[in-house]
Amino acid sequence: MAGREFFNTETSILNTKNLQAGFFIGGKFYPAIEDINIEIKPGKVVCVVGESGSGKSVTALSIMSLLPKENGSIQEGEILFEGRNLVDLSQDDMNEIRGKDIGMIFQEPMTSLNPVFTIGFQVQEVLLNHLSISKSEARERSIQLLRQVGISRPEEIVDEYPHQLSGGMRQRVMIAMAIANNPKLLIADEPTTALDVTIQAQILELIKEIQKKMNMAVMLITHDLGVVAEMADEIIVMYAGQIVEQSDTYSIFYNPKHPYLKLLLQSIPRLDENRERLDSIKGIVPSLTNIDRTGCRFTDRCPEAKDECRQISPQLAELGGGHKVRCLLYKESYPTEKAVTNR
Amino acid sequence: MDPVVEHNTTKIPLNHQKSPSPWVIARRKFLKNKIAMIALVFLVFITVISFLAPYITTEDPAKVNIAKLMKAPSADNWLGTDNGGRDIFTRLLYGGRVSLTIGFIATLNITIIGTLIGAVAGYFGGKVDAWLMRFTDFIMVFPFLIFVIVLNAIFPKSGISALIFVISVLGWGGVARLVRSKVLSEKENDYIAAAISIGTPASKVIYKHLLPNVISTVIVQATILLASMIVFETGISFLGFGVPQTIPSWGNMISPARNPNVIQFKPWIWMPPGIVLTLTILSVNFVGEGLKDAFNPKSNR
Repeated sequence: MAGREFFNTETSILNTKNLQAGFFIGGKFYPAIEDINIEIKPGKVVCVVGESGSGKSVTALSIMSLLPKENGSIQEGEILFEGRNLVDLSQDDMNEIRGKDIGMIFQEPMTSLNPVFTIGFQVQEVLLNHLSISKSEARERSIQLLRQVGISRPEEIVDEYPHQLSGGMRQRVMIAMAIANNPKLLIADEPTTALDVTIQAQILELIKEIQKKMNMAVMLITHDLGVVAEMADEIIVMYAGQIVEQSDTYSIFYNPKHPYLKLLLQSIPRLDENRERLDSIKGIVPSLTNIDRTGCRFTDRCPEAKDECRQISPQLAELGGGHKVRCLLYKESYPTEKAVTNR
Repeated sequence: MDPVVEHNTTKIPLNHQKSPSPWVIARRKFLKNKIAMIALVFLVFITVISFLAPYITTEDPAKVNIAKLMKAPSADNWLGTDNGGRDIFTRLLYGGRVSLTIGFIATLNITIIGTLIGAVAGYFGGKVDAWLMRFTDFIMVFPFLIFVIVLNAIFPKSGISALIFVISVLGWGGVARLVRSKVLSEKENDYIAAAISIGTPASKVIYKHLLPNVISTVIVQATILLASMIVFETGISFLGFGVPQTIPSWGNMISPARNPNVIQFKPWIWMPPGIVLTLTILSVNFVGEGLKDAFNPKSNR
């Protein structure tokens, strides 16, 4: 490892480098994410946004080494967590990290708790996996955790089964499990998608409070730009498996560069406007097997597309002030000679 | 630790009780099922009197008595005697012992082997799955009957252990396939990913998280297996290839019925084991049916 890289990783909790992961379909490998470089610093909230199918969840699952065993695979790149490359670790070593240093919250609270066990059992399992404490201590600790995530009467809830709780409460339990061992990084994969709007706000508030209190780094995956505006320190916009724009929250909302992001922001309904129809972006995200991998992947839906967009693959390039974009409207994004021959 | 945020998302219900686990709910449902309970009581009764046979009757089930060949039921021999002059009632009790032992042990072995292989294949998938399932197919094509006959010829003194061995080693294919298919659908649930994401090792994910969710299917399958294993023992002993003739089993007791004279004029020889066998199989199936209903959250019978 070069010395310069070493110093970079020291200041960040998580650092993915040129990450490429995807799936084998019919014997052929299709990358679902490519060229993913994400850096998360301690105590910061990084939001990953994008439409369904843009590769947000695959990124999260890759970091947790949770890609489906049958056909999912990380083909290239590194995932450096506190300087250790997670890609090279065995499942046993990953089990040391998962649940202790990295916690994860899932999208669907209705199915992410095991229906045959009590809430207490499942929260205790996280503790017992990583700490050498007795069952009664784990029980005490799990009651504290449930109280901490805002569940009233936790002494009774520990003995209840998942089907007796509402979606919002189950998501709180999931959060309790994810933060049980004070992880350094919390990955939240669309934690509010399956919840109704009032509960969504509460859950986000909870994640934010816990993040501040424990000074955790959070990687929040969502397709809700409203959520992003409230939570994020940094925003990463993904499209068809690539990062298309990356910057701090303010620049993303007030100075969007990529046509995709501009359209996304226009499609947010506003209270001060009175419109019959919401703006939408025509077309859909290409499916994994249909992505045209030469040229810009957004060309077909882009109102500002030029002819060369179909031939030249743009690079994610910095425009200054940490604002990165992948679009041929900006001269920085044209690939260097080396990159062209590589393609 | 202090609560970070306290939201009143839930109202405290009045007189809150400790909630029943899925097992408790299933047990309650089963206890309410009359037919299944009667069948269970019958099964327990048969099992108990079979295994307590030496305390119930003093006759020797294997000793030939030429003085009493094929006698009709009387005060001395309640159900008559067979073609060896042995007391049918005594043999019925001892025979139950053998038939039920074979049934229970073979079912237990098959269930354990099949569940293990099916769960590992289904959970790990890919190459592990392919190899294990091809191995299962390979095992499933062996014909039971021929193996039993060959093994009995090689080890004539093995008694019932050869039979149990063959059934256990060759019989688990169906259970393995069933468990694998259940595991395949069950492991897609987020709670499995959640369990892995909190650092639970694979072995623990399988036995703690997957198996409890597929075990109800396995139990129901095991009861059906138990019935078919008892029937298999009976059938193969009836043909004379199963349990050695010196050891009484229900199959051995029915086998004299191959003689036209016995089947036409001496019903007391083959009727009792036939009736007990039929009732036992029926009971096992009723219990299985009851368990299936009890584990099914959608049935409210």
